[in-house]
Amino acid sequence: MIYNGVALFLLLTVIAGMVRIIKGPTVADRMMAAQLFGTCGLAILLVLARGMDMPELIDIALAFSLLATLATMTFVRRTWYKGDDDEHS
Amino acid sequence: MNIHESVGLFFIAAAMVFFLSGTMGLLRFPDIYTRLHALTKADNVGLGLLILGLSLQATDWLTVAKLILIWLLVLLASSTSCHLVARRALQKGIKPWALK
Amino acid sequence: MGFEMTIIITCFDILLAGTLLWLAWQLLRSANIFKAIIFFISFGLLMSIAWVRMHAPDVALAEAAIGAGLTGPLFLAALRRMERKQRKERRINPPEERNENG
Repeated sequence: MIYNGVALFLLLTVIAGMVRIIKGPTVADRMMAAQLFGTCGLAILLVLARGMDMPELIDIALAFSLLATLATMTFVRRTWYKGDDDEHS
Repeated sequence: MNIHESVGLFFIAAAMVFFLSGTMGLLRFPDIYTRLHALTKADNVGLGLLILGLSLQATDWLTVAKLILIWLLVLLASSTSCHLVARRALQKGIKPWALK
Repeated sequence: MGFEMTIIITCFDILLAGTLLWLAWQLLRSANIFKAIIFFISFGLLMSIAWVRMHAPDVALAEAAIGAGLTGPLFLAALRRMERKQRKERRINPPEERNENG
């Protein structure tokens, strides 16, 4: 029961972080909010693995941790260029 | 409830504090560098405490090894991406908040 | 004990479903394409948690890997290409290709 409460709390944290996606002044702020989603989603999965008694969820959490950084890397390398007269800065 | 479980619950409660402060930092801090700082440090400490608490309650060693592997991967990934984003923000000429 | 547990997990499910619906609506109607991509990535992450709640960990694994992990970066790369193409078409005499940090 405590674990489900912890998962609920973490979900509320994720939802609060969504405000930053909506009003983030720069594109990087929005990207960082997505990164927060990755970390909090990972924590939710780990807690649910204990609360729902499904140890195979830890493997999904492993996949999350491997793939969460891919979006940020692509963002920095491909979308947010150095000398860009960009529309979204 | 034995001692392992209680200590694990204590660590999980401490982790919640760090997760909350990470999100508050993302919402309240003034510029991109301070937000990066809040996000990549507080959240990873929170995740580390959560993993410590969960691995105190785990039954076999494989689970503990997987949990610690997850934490190390997340540390590596988030420090790398934090460094990349901060460097690119400096290159684009975004001034830190204290220097404005 | 059991009753409270059901209430908490039901709250979790309802909140998760509502957030997913709201995210889907936001990503469809947002005019800023970058924002829509970020919403898409968040939608993938939360959707995989929803699959976990429906006791389908295999689908959750596929959703996390394909939905959030691969499609999001591909969209980001495609956004960059699209903007460069549009900018080139807008100019009358396009200057030479800058060789940025490749």
